[in-house]
Amino acid sequence: MSEPAAPSAPPLSVPARSPRRGAAPLLAAALAWIFPGLGHFLVGRRGTAVLYAIIVSATFVLGLSFEGRLYSPEPGQPLTILATFAVYGAGLLNLSARLLSSNPGGTILSVTYEYGCAFLLTAGLMNLLLMLDAYDIAAGRKS
Amino acid sequence: MPTDHFLIMALYALLISVFFSLLWRSGARERVALFVKLFLALVVGALAVAWLMYPFPS
Repeated sequence: MSEPAAPSAPPLSVPARSPRRGAAPLLAAALAWIFPGLGHFLVGRRGTAVLYAIIVSATFVLGLSFEGRLYSPEPGQPLTILATFAVYGAGLLNLSARLLSSNPGGTILSVTYEYGCAFLLTAGLMNLLLMLDAYDIAAGRKS
Repeated sequence: MPTDHFLIMALYALLISVFFSLLWRSGARERVALFVKLFLALVVGALAVAWLMYPFPS
């Protein structure tokens, strides 16, 4: 008499995430652009949101203190378009700095000018990544 | 305002490493591990590149 076959292991399955469409992912991304961490705060990652806010803000403020440049597009300098896009990624930090700064073009003769530019660009790009991350979390693509 | 190049570079590496360890990992242990790897890669890598460039005239 043959023994009954051992039950086969259930097939591996990944629980399906229901993608959430609608305003919430876009709202999370928009809030993330406005201020670093706001999008993550909306989707419930409160502790990480505060840390993101501190890190990105610190990077931006250091860039300003190092007398870096808040880029704007310049005719004949196509790379400034990319740089402008990057810096505008910082949202309100960038907008308020442009309004309040007496020297948004930076001090090119400063020893730390290049570093300041790097920090400002990096802060903006970090925040763009945070926008994408907040969108993915709100859309259910990332747990 | 610090003007020491190495210090500024290390500060940049610190911010980048903390940011990406928070973004790419969950759990304190994994985050710390990635932070250490990224920070060392950036700082040691920069020093290595600096020494590689040393023989070349400015």
